[in-house]
Amino acid sequence: MRKLLPLLAACCLAALPAAYAQVLELKETPSLQGAVKAGTLAPVIERMPSDPLLVRPTVPGTPGGTLHLLMASAKDTRMMVVYGYTRLVAYTPDYKLEPDIAQSVDVEDGRIFTFHLRPGHKWSDGQPFTAEDFRYWFEDMASNKKLFTAGLPEQMLVDGKGPKFEVIDPETVRYTWAKPNPLFLRALAGPDPLYIYAPAHYMRKFNAKYTDEKTLDDLVKQYRVRNWSALHTKLFHPYHTDNPDLPVLDPWVLKTKPPADQFVFERNPYFHRVDPVGRQLPYIDRVEMVIADSKIIPAKTGAGESDLQARYLRFDNYTFLKDAEDRVDYKVRLWRTAPGAQLALYPNLNVTDPTWRQLNRDVRFRRALSLAADRHEINQAIYYGLAIEGQNTVLPESPLYDPAYRTAWATYDPKQASRLLDEIGLTKHNSSGIRLLPDGQPLEIVIENAGESTEQSDVLELLRDTWREVGIQLFSKPSQLDIWRRRVYSGATMMSIDKGVDNGLVTADMPPDEFVPTTQAQVQWPMWGQYLETKGKSGEAVDMPDVQELQKLYKAWFSATDDFARADIWRKILKISADDVFSIGLVAGVPQPIVVSNKLHNVPEEGIFNWEPGAFFGYYHMDTFWLTPEDSDQASAETPKG
Amino acid sequence: MFHYIMRRVLIMIPTLIVISAVIFTIIKLPPGDYLSSYIDTLRQSHETVDEQKIAFLRAQFHLDEPAWRQYLYWVSGLIRGDLGYSALYDLPVSQVVGDKLMLTFIVSVATILFTWIVAFPIGVYSATHQYSLTDYGLTFLGFLGLATPNFLLALVLLYFANVHFGISIGGLMDPQYLDKPWTVAKAVSVLKHLWIPVLVIGAAGTAGMIRRLRANLLDELQKQYFVTARAKGLSPFRALVKYPLRMSLNPFIADIGALLPHVISGAAVVSVVLSLPTTGPMLLDALRSQDMYLAGSFLMFMASLTVIGVFLSDLALAWLDPRIRLEGGVTR
Repeated sequence: MRKLLPLLAACCLAALPAAYAQVLELKETPSLQGAVKAGTLAPVIERMPSDPLLVRPTVPGTPGGTLHLLMASAKDTRMMVVYGYTRLVAYTPDYKLEPDIAQSVDVEDGRIFTFHLRPGHKWSDGQPFTAEDFRYWFEDMASNKKLFTAGLPEQMLVDGKGPKFEVIDPETVRYTWAKPNPLFLRALAGPDPLYIYAPAHYMRKFNAKYTDEKTLDDLVKQYRVRNWSALHTKLFHPYHTDNPDLPVLDPWVLKTKPPADQFVFERNPYFHRVDPVGRQLPYIDRVEMVIADSKIIPAKTGAGESDLQARYLRFDNYTFLKDAEDRVDYKVRLWRTAPGAQLALYPNLNVTDPTWRQLNRDVRFRRALSLAADRHEINQAIYYGLAIEGQNTVLPESPLYDPAYRTAWATYDPKQASRLLDEIGLTKHNSSGIRLLPDGQPLEIVIENAGESTEQSDVLELLRDTWREVGIQLFSKPSQLDIWRRRVYSGATMMSIDKGVDNGLVTADMPPDEFVPTTQAQVQWPMWGQYLETKGKSGEAVDMPDVQELQKLYKAWFSATDDFARADIWRKILKISADDVFSIGLVAGVPQPIVVSNKLHNVPEEGIFNWEPGAFFGYYHMDTFWLTPEDSDQASAETPKG
Repeated sequence: MFHYIMRRVLIMIPTLIVISAVIFTIIKLPPGDYLSSYIDTLRQSHETVDEQKIAFLRAQFHLDEPAWRQYLYWVSGLIRGDLGYSALYDLPVSQVVGDKLMLTFIVSVATILFTWIVAFPIGVYSATHQYSLTDYGLTFLGFLGLATPNFLLALVLLYFANVHFGISIGGLMDPQYLDKPWTVAKAVSVLKHLWIPVLVIGAAGTAGMIRRLRANLLDELQKQYFVTARAKGLSPFRALVKYPLRMSLNPFIADIGALLPHVISGAAVVSVVLSLPTTGPMLLDALRSQDMYLAGSFLMFMASLTVIGVFLSDLALAWLDPRIRLEGGVTR
C-alpha cells in the first residue's frame, strides 16, 4: 500500500502536513470583505475546507489586482484551467505526484484507488463537493449511453473493462480494477485532465433521470439544442470552460458568457489552497483575457498589453520583444522547452510509393540523411547557437538521458553519408549532380509540413544546401494542418517536418508511447499507428522487425512491476530509436520567450514551458503569482467607469 | 411596374437555391469535415482527443449521413429561419454572427463614407481640370493607394499608431471597453481605433472610385447639352452639378447591389491583420475549420443580401433615370 501523503519537498513550493495547516489563522481576502460584511458571502473560515492545501510561495504575496492575458480564440479559455492547474492529484515542479483537490489517495497493487476528499470542500458556488459528485459522474453520466455514447474514457479501461465504483462515505470514493491501471493517476493530473466528478447539484437539472420532461423540453428549446443529452454535454465543459454557470474547483472562475472578445475570470472564493500566512489563494483577484489574432499577439505583447505571455510567442519574436523592454514595463525571460526536438524530419515508413517505401525503410538511407544535415549551422544561423544539436530523443534533464542517444548519427559527415548512399546502390548521378533512383528518376525528396511557421522553411532552406552536397535534392512543401495530416495518413507524403517528441523530460514511470507506434498521428508510421488505434480494423500491421521489437518492449512496460524494470525497458527503446533513426532530429531545447510584467511576482526566472509535463505555468503554481498592489488596484477600480 | 417587381422576386427563389447548392458543395469539397480538422488540431497540441465528445458531435451534426441529407437538413433549417449550430463556437450561428454584425457595419459604413468623401471632390476636380498638374498629382496618390498591399499598410499604420499615439494594437477599442455596454467613452475609443481600418480599406476603394467618376464625367462634359448649357450662360458650377454629375452617378447607384453584402462582410484580409472583431475573420476561421453551418449560413446570408441589393439598385436606377426601361428583359 502506497500513500501519497503531502511531502515536504526540497523545492520552494512544498505542501506541509495537514496538521500544520489547521493551526493557521485564515485571513479574509480584502476584495471579498465587502461581500462578507454585507452577508452575501460566508467568511473565509466557512468557505475553505477544514484541511486546506498549504502552498509555500517563493515570496508571500499581496492579494488583489487584475492580470491581463492575450489569447487567440475563445477556445483558449481552457488555458486558465491549464494554468490554474487544480487536479485531484497534481505534479510538483520536480514531477512528483501529490494530492491536490483530494486530501490523500491510497493505491493498492496499482489497481485499487481510494480518494479521500477534504472535509468541507466546496464548489465555486458554495455547494459542498462530496462523493455524490463522483457518483453522479460515474453512474449518471459515464454509464449513460445517451451521454457517453462511446462508453467510459480510455484511461479508465484496463483490457476494455471499467472499474468497480464504490462510495465508502461522503468523503471517500474507491475505484477497483481487476488489473493495474498505471495511467489512471497520470490522466487525473494531466494538463487536460480526466474529470471523474461533476457538480451533481447543478448538472442534475439537465438530466432526464432527475428532471421532468417538460422542464427539460423548455430548457432544450431555450438553448436551441436537439435534446437533453446535447444540453447536458454542452453545459459540462470543465476543461473547455465556456459556461459561467458551471460550478468549478479552479482558482479562477469564468464570468463571461461566450461569444466575446474579452473573457473575465474572477477568483474562486471557495478555493482550497492557502499560503503560510493564512491568506486564501489565488492572490490575483481577476484575470482579463483579450482575444486577438495569434499573429498580432507578439506585437500586442510588445506594446505592453499582456502581463504574462508565452503562448503564441515564438523564439524568433525574441529580439523584437527584448527591444521593447525599454519602452514597456516588462522583462523577457527565456524558459527551456521540453520537446525532444524543436524540429525533426519524419521519413514516412508507410508511404505508398514502393520505391520510396523501400528507401525510407532502409536504415542506411535514414542514417545518411541524418549525417548530411549540418545541425551546427542550423543552430548558429537560426537559433543564435542557443539550441542543443542532435537527434529527437530525451533531454539531458531526464533521468533516462544518455548523450549517445542524442549524438547517434547526428554529427555532420557528408563523406560517410555519401558512402552509405553508394552502399544502397544510389551510385548514378544526373548532369546536375543529383543521384538517380533505380528507376532513373532523380533523388528528389519532398518534405511536407503544416505550413504554420516560417521557421520550418528556413531550416529546410539550410538543409537543402548540405543535402545537395551528397547528391540529394530537397523540396519543401508547406501545406495546411489538416491537408498535410490527411496526406500523411493516406501515405501520400514521403517525408514530413514537424516537432519532435512532445515530452523529452520523461521518467521511467511515464509510458513510452511517443517512441512506439500507438496512434495515427505519428507521422513516421501513420498506418501502423492507425492499425493499433483501431485494433486492426484499418491501417497496416507492423512488418519491420525493429519496430516489432519496440512494440514488444512497449507491452512489457505495462506489465512491468517496478521502476527499475520500466527504466530498463525505456533504455532499450531509446537505444533502438537512436540507432534506427526513425525520426531525424535536428535541434532541441530552443528557448521559449516568456514576457513577465515587472508588476508580476513569483514567476520563476527559469523554468520549463511545456504542455505535459508542465501544464505551461501550471506546475509553478500560478495561484501564488501576485501583482504589485497600488497600480493594479487603481487600474481595476478605474475600468468600470466611462 | 408591379409585374416587373413580381417577376424579379420570383426569380430570386431559384437563384438562391442554386447558390445554396454551390455553397454547400464548395464547403464540402476539401477532404474531411469539421471533426477531422478538430481532431488534427487537438493532436498537434498533444491534447487528449475525447472520443465521447467526438461521437457526440458526429451525431449532432449528422456527419455520418450522406451529403444530400446533410444539405437538406441545412436548407430546411434555413427556410424556417434557423441558421444552424456552429461547431466551432458551440453556439447557434445567429448568436455568433449577431454580435459581430454591428461592428462590421460601423467599419463598413465609415469606410464607404470615407471613400465617397475623398473620391467625389477629387474625381470631379480631376475631370474638370483634366491633364493639369493637380490631376496628375491626385491620380498618382490614388494609384498609390490602389497599389499598396492593404495588409502592409495596415501593419505600418498599426506600429506608428501604437508607438506615437499609444493606441492599443489591433481591435476596434481599448481592451477595457470590450463586451461592455455602449457609452461615450467607448464610442471615443472606437473612433480612435476606427481610422486605421477605414484608411486602409478605403485607400484601395478610393482610387477606383476616383478613376470611374473622372472617366464618366469626362464623357458627359464633352456632350452637346453641357456645351449648350455653358453657352447660354449657366455658371460652370451649376452647369456641372445639375446635369453631367447627375448622369455620371448611375454606376454608383448600380453599385448599391454590391455594397449591401460588402457592408456586413467587411474586408477579411485587413480585418485579420488588424484583428478586428468583424465578420471577415470569423468567416475565414469557419471556412478553415470546415464549420459547415457557420460558413454556409453566413455566405447564404450574404448571397441573399446581394440578390436583394441588386434588385433594389435596379429599382433605384429606374426611378432616377427615366431613360432606363424595365421591360427590356421580357422582349429579349
